[in-house]
Amino acid sequence: MAGHAKQLTYEDNRHQESEKVYQSLEPGRKVKPKKPKRNGDVMVIFAFMAPALLIYGLYVVYSIGMTFYYSLYEWSGISNTMVFQGLQNYVTLMQDGIFWTSLQNNLLLVAASLLTQLPLGLIMALLLFSPVKGMRFFRSIYFMPFLMSTVAIGILFIYIYDGNFGIINQILGQLGLESWQRGWLGNEETAIWAVIATVCWQFAPFYMILFRAAIVGIPEDLYEAAEIDGASPRKKFLHITLPLLIPTIVTSAILSIIGSLKYFDLIFVMTDGGPNNSTELMATYMYEQTFTNFNMGYGSSISFTMFLIALIITVFILFFDQKRKGES
Amino acid sequence: MLNKKLWWITLIALIFIVGCQPTSGGSGEEDGSKTLTLWHIETGPSEKALLDAVKRFEDSHEGVNVEVVRQENDPYKTKLSVAMGGGTPPDVFHSWGGGWLEKFVDAGQVKDISSDIDTSAYLPSALTPATFDGKNYGAPLAMDIVPVWYNKDMFEKYGLEEPKTYEELLNIVKTLKENDIIPFSIANKSKWPGSFYYMYFAERIGGPELFSEAFNREGRGFDAEAYVKAGEKIQELVKMGAFPDGFNGMNFDTGQSRQLIYAEKAGMIIQGNWMLGTTRADMPAFEEKLGFFLFPSIEGGKGSRQDIVGGVSPVFSVAEKTEYPDLAAELVNELASKKTAQQLANEDGAISAVKGVEYKDQYVKKINEVLQEAEYLQTFYDQTLPPELAEVHLDTTQALFGLSMTPEEAAKKTEEKAKEVLEK
Repeated sequence: MAGHAKQLTYEDNRHQESEKVYQSLEPGRKVKPKKPKRNGDVMVIFAFMAPALLIYGLYVVYSIGMTFYYSLYEWSGISNTMVFQGLQNYVTLMQDGIFWTSLQNNLLLVAASLLTQLPLGLIMALLLFSPVKGMRFFRSIYFMPFLMSTVAIGILFIYIYDGNFGIINQILGQLGLESWQRGWLGNEETAIWAVIATVCWQFAPFYMILFRAAIVGIPEDLYEAAEIDGASPRKKFLHITLPLLIPTIVTSAILSIIGSLKYFDLIFVMTDGGPNNSTELMATYMYEQTFTNFNMGYGSSISFTMFLIALIITVFILFFDQKRKGES
Repeated sequence: MLNKKLWWITLIALIFIVGCQPTSGGSGEEDGSKTLTLWHIETGPSEKALLDAVKRFEDSHEGVNVEVVRQENDPYKTKLSVAMGGGTPPDVFHSWGGGWLEKFVDAGQVKDISSDIDTSAYLPSALTPATFDGKNYGAPLAMDIVPVWYNKDMFEKYGLEEPKTYEELLNIVKTLKENDIIPFSIANKSKWPGSFYYMYFAERIGGPELFSEAFNREGRGFDAEAYVKAGEKIQELVKMGAFPDGFNGMNFDTGQSRQLIYAEKAGMIIQGNWMLGTTRADMPAFEEKLGFFLFPSIEGGKGSRQDIVGGVSPVFSVAEKTEYPDLAAELVNELASKKTAQQLANEDGAISAVKGVEYKDQYVKKINEVLQEAEYLQTFYDQTLPPELAEVHLDTTQALFGLSMTPEEAAKKTEEKAKEVLEK
C-alpha cells in the first residue's frame, strides 16, 4: 500500500511539473490544462445531477427492482414471513381471467385515447388559430377540464351519468329517446365507455396545449411562401402544419399510450373497477390485490407486468420514430 | 481549483446534512413527555365523543400526549396496512374486528389485551368479532344492525303495512312498482349494500348456523343450496324491477341511494342503523317519515325474523410494536368506556357495545330493543371473512345483482376461494 501511495504522489508531482512546463512555455494559450479542468467539469455536472439522480435511483430504479423482488414471493405486505415461490405469481397471472379483462380494458383505453384525444386536441388547437372573435376566452374554456381535480371530475360525472337524476338521461328524455336511458355506470356494457368518455374529456385539452405550442413554433415564412405559390388552406395544413407537427404527435402518442396503460384515478373514483370487474384496469386490479386482498406479492407481479408492457411499447415507438427520422 | 472543489464538497455535504435532519423534534422525549398516536375514522358527534375520551385520558395521565389522527373511511384500510407493513403503526387504532383484524393478528402486529380490559363490561356478541383463539385483541364501543328502512307516508298512502313474511314484502314491491315508485333503493358500486340482501336471504333460508358452518368448514359450504337459493331470490327481485336503473354503478358515499329515498322516488332501503344519523345530517325534515322493520321470514326457511345482520364498529386495538403498551391499553379502556358509549348514544344515536348505557332517543331505544330481542347476530360477511374471500363474496354478489353470473356460479366461485383461503 505504501509503495502504491508513493507512486501516486510521484505521478502527481510529475503531472504538476508538466503542467508548470506547459504553462511556462505558452503563457497565453491554455491548451493542455483543459484536461484537469474537464475532470472538474464532471465533478460539477455530477454535483448538479446528484440530487436528481439520487431521487431517481431511489424512487424509480430501486423501486422497480424491489417490485420485481417482491413479485417472486407470496407475501401479505404486513407480515414478516415471505415465502419464495419463483415465478409462480406470473403463472397465476397468466391464468387470471380478471387480469386479461383489465389488460383488454387498458388497450381499449389506449385506442380510445389515440383516436379521440389527439385528433380532438389538434382540432381544438387549430380552432384557437382561427380568426374568430373571443378566442382567448375559448382557450380558457377548452383548457378548463384539465385544470380540474380528477376526483372532482369523477364525482361530477357520477352525477351526470346517474340513472335517475343524471343530466344525460334527462336530455335523452327530452329528445324522446327514453329507450336509451340507463344507469350508465351500473351496466357492464356501458360503464367502460362512460368512463373512457370522461377520460378523453379530461385529457384532450392537454394535447391541445401541446399542439398549440408546436403550431406557434412553425415559422411564419413557410406559410407566406406557400401563399405566394397559391396553396389552399387545406394544402397548407397537409404539407406544412401536419409534417412539422409529427414530432409533437409522436411525443403525444407516447404520453397518451403510457398514460392509458397505467391509468388509475378516474376508474377508481367512478366505478372502482366494477360492476363485476367490467371496468377493471391493470392498475386498479393491482391496487385491489395489494391493498384490499393483502397480496403484496401478486400485486407486485401485476405492477411489474405493467412496467414491462409499457417499456416494450415505448421502445417500439421510439424505434420506429428513429427509423422515420433516418429515412427523412 | 482546490478551493472550488472544497466549496462544492462543502455545499453537497451541507445539502445532505440538512436533508437528513429529522423533520420534527421527534416524539418529544427530551422533556420527558410521552406521545401516543390514535387513528380513527369517526366524524361529527362520534368524533367529539372520542376527543372527549382522549381529553379525559390526558387529564388523568400527566405528561402523556395523544396525537389523534382522523383518517378517511375508504382509504383507512390501505393506510393502516401500509403503516403496519412499514413498521410504523399507530399505537391505538380503529377496526371492525373480523377477518380484517385477524390478518394483522396473524402477522403478529396486534397486542393481546385480554388481561388489560374488563371483558364482563361488554356485550358478549360485541366482543366476539375481535376475539381470536380465546384472546381479546380489541375493545368494542358501538354496534350496528341492519333493518329495512321505509317511507311511512308512502306506505300509508298505498295502504301498506310492515311485512312479516316475504310474500307480504313481495306484494309491497308489486304495489310500489305499479305506482311508479322504485321499491328498493340501493347503491351497489360500494358492493356491501348488496351483500345485506345476500346475507339476509341466506340466513332466512338456511338458518343461523349456515354461515358459521361454511366459515368453520363444518357441514354446509358456501355452495350450499341455501346460498344458491339466496342468489335466485336476488335475481328474482332484479328481474321484477325492484331496484333503480344502473344501481351497480351508484355510490353510497356520494348519497346516490339516499337521494332516491329523500326525493320519495323509492320506498325502501336496506341499510345499517347509521341511516338515522345520515338522514339527520342530509335532510333532517325527512326523519319523521322514516320507519323501519326487520327483514321478513321466508316460508319454509330455517331462519327467524328475529335474526339480524349487524356488526361492531369501532373496535380499538393496540399495536404490538407500541413503545408504551400499558398506556396504550389504558387509552383503549378510556375510549371504549361506558362514558364514551353513553355520550355516543346520546349524541349520535349509536347502540352501545358497553353494558349499562341508557337510551334517550326513541329511535335508538327501539333499535336497541330489537338488538336485545335478537336471537342471532349475523356479523357482516365482508368484515368477518378474510379480506380476499370477502372480496370474492362482494364481487360475486354484485355480479348476481347485475345478472351476469348465475346463482350456482356465484356460490361455486365463493366456495372455491373459501377452500383455498380457509382450509390452509
